[in-house]
Amino acid sequence: MDVAIANYIGLSAVIFMIGVGGVVARRNPLVMLMGIELMWNAANLAFIAYAKAYMSNAGHVFAFLVITVAAAEAAIGLAIVVIVFRRAVNVDVDDVSVLKG
Amino acid sequence: MGLEGVYMPLFVIWLAPLVGAIVIWAFGPSLRTWGGPIGCAAIAVSFFATIASWGDATRQTVVGAIPVVGAHQSIVTWAKGFNLGLLWDPLSLTWVLIITGIGFLIHFYSMGYMSGDKGYARFFAYMNFFVFAMLTLVLSDNFVGLLIGWGLVGLASFFLIGFWYERPSAVAAATKAFVMNVVGDVGILFAIFIIVAVVGSISYADAFAGVTAHKFSSSLLYLACAMLFVGCAAKSAQVPLHSWLPDAMEGPTPVSALIHAATMVTAGVYLIARCWPMFAGSADARELVGIIGGVTALLGAILGVAQWDIKRILAYSTMSQIGYMIMGVGVGAYDAGVLHFFTHAWFKAQLFLTAGLIIHALHNEQDVRLMGGLRKREPFAFWSMTIATFSICGVPPLAGFFSKDAVVYDTLLRGHPELYAVGVITAGITAYYMFRMIFITFFGEYRGEVDPSNLGIRHPEFAGTSAGLAAHPHDDDPHEHHTPGWIMVAPVAVLWIGTIFAGLLNVGGDNSLWHKLLEPVFGSAISYPEGTAPVSELVSSAIVLAVVIVGIAIAYVRYGNAGALRDAISRLREESVRMPAILVNLFYFDSAIDALFVRPSRGLGFFFGQIFDPLVIDGSVREARVSAVWLGHLFRSFQTGLVRAYALTIVFGAAAFIVYYAIVAVN
Repeated sequence: MDVAIANYIGLSAVIFMIGVGGVVARRNPLVMLMGIELMWNAANLAFIAYAKAYMSNAGHVFAFLVITVAAAEAAIGLAIVVIVFRRAVNVDVDDVSVLKG
Repeated sequence: MGLEGVYMPLFVIWLAPLVGAIVIWAFGPSLRTWGGPIGCAAIAVSFFATIASWGDATRQTVVGAIPVVGAHQSIVTWAKGFNLGLLWDPLSLTWVLIITGIGFLIHFYSMGYMSGDKGYARFFAYMNFFVFAMLTLVLSDNFVGLLIGWGLVGLASFFLIGFWYERPSAVAAATKAFVMNVVGDVGILFAIFIIVAVVGSISYADAFAGVTAHKFSSSLLYLACAMLFVGCAAKSAQVPLHSWLPDAMEGPTPVSALIHAATMVTAGVYLIARCWPMFAGSADARELVGIIGGVTALLGAILGVAQWDIKRILAYSTMSQIGYMIMGVGVGAYDAGVLHFFTHAWFKAQLFLTAGLIIHALHNEQDVRLMGGLRKREPFAFWSMTIATFSICGVPPLAGFFSKDAVVYDTLLRGHPELYAVGVITAGITAYYMFRMIFITFFGEYRGEVDPSNLGIRHPEFAGTSAGLAAHPHDDDPHEHHTPGWIMVAPVAVLWIGTIFAGLLNVGGDNSLWHKLLEPVFGSAISYPEGTAPVSELVSSAIVLAVVIVGIAIAYVRYGNAGALRDAISRLREESVRMPAILVNLFYFDSAIDALFVRPSRGLGFFFGQIFDPLVIDGSVREARVSAVWLGHLFRSFQTGLVRAYALTIVFGAAAFIVYYAIVAVN
């Protein structure tokens, strides 16, 4: 079954925009992390789609790299979230603005 | 003669005073009164080494068909043409003899004069250092070594003139002397630039060979000579750089004797005599030197007439006599100019040291109006001063007669009748002001107890030197009149020999001892030109002597006869009050220098200090700070601390990239 590349890319773009919307619009850090995960995976989808379309292994390699980095990011992100939870009961990322200029 | 190996005596002559200075400097506080004998010993070692190596200086050898006199010792070479070394020939021998010989007598005298001063050891360290500096100057075989010595002499004179540093006037005089000397140093530096640019070497021999080989264009040679002469003018107190010399009387009297009689001020004469091949190649430069020398001789003599401070009278007489020397070497009479240096060193040292005896005996009184009648109180000083005065006036058969007449007559021989006239007139004025000093100081009644205002002394507290003498440690001496001890009398007595007999060296024209000594240096340049003068030497001497006698007679009528001595107080008051302003203000040279250089420099300093620095330099720094603050404010407004805002920024940034590349791709 041959699916046109545009479909994959379009799906990837939609997922990515959902992720962006989650990060920008929500204040709960856990939801923001989920949005970031969505963006990672949208990018992965695009990589794999192009790899298939151009019959190149480079896309697959990048996909694995992205998965690795995403795992590391999730670990760090969750660690930050845990620390932030310890400081405050009611968690809102807008309250965590110590680095404000 | 290029000397193989190390020629030790020359190093001994050169470095013994330095060793003395370093020892006294390093151990001064613990040496106490031993500083004086050590200082004297260092100079004595140098002097005896000079005598011992006399023969090497005058030995003539032939190197590659070129006759060479004396010895040459190279010390260090750091590039081709840049050799530092020592030169030992009759000219440097003459100077070294005076520097170490008379320098020793002055050191010896200082042991008495400075005893009890709290800076006793320091004084001898400076004196030894001064002698070392002067020896560096005259022994050097190249222009850079000369300049080093030149600068060190200026530094040493700064130390010595400002020796009593508690006195503001002494510090001011020391600064003035140093600054004016640096003007001369810069002149010599420029001359060195020119010489190195043309011949590529700093040694005298190469420079003179370059002149002989016509490597210099005439204008460049004139410029080099003129620049050298700027140095001479500053060091030798020639117009218009002379005004530091009288002010330098702020130093102790032996310093005046050392600086102003034997060593420092004659450095200019030495330089011109040493660089005679350059001046011989440029008639314009000789003209300049001769005229400046003549003007200085005349001006110094005129100003000497108007002084009341015994040391300042002598200072202006020094200036005037140096003018004679410069005039002599300027017209090409190198032997006569150098001879006048030689005899002047004797009688001027004697004058200064005798003045020191008087000042010492009178508790640092230097104003001649407050002296008088000292002939009976100080007979030795009287006779010493009188003989030296006759010598400086050029009365035969004393030393000054031979040298001054030689200079004056040579100006005529070499075709400068106007300088001859200046020389004769100056001789008359010299006789007048020197005998004025003698009559006021030694004849009549002692005026030390007279109220200074009755003598027309406007600021009695500043009588004598412009400073008042409160700082001098002898002042608290309780006893009224102390006769100088043998330590101070003996050196003056030795100086009598030279003051009386030194001129005899020049008897015999081209066959005289003096001529024989210097002929290897100057060659035929100092042979007497044939029959060009309108009068013979004998007639010329008679003219000079007549003018001198007229000068003495005027001084006698005004100050020396019985009536003048009886009304001395009222006459002196009259003269003080009536003194023309132009003489009181020393022809306005200081004012002119003040208006032309000092005040513009101050204005420039004010501009840079009060306007340029706070507004431009500080202002630009301040503006940089303000801009940084403003930029900081701008950028901190982006730092909201809201993660969403950052994310949105990233998104928009990414979007902008995509749009941009989309457009690029389309085109």
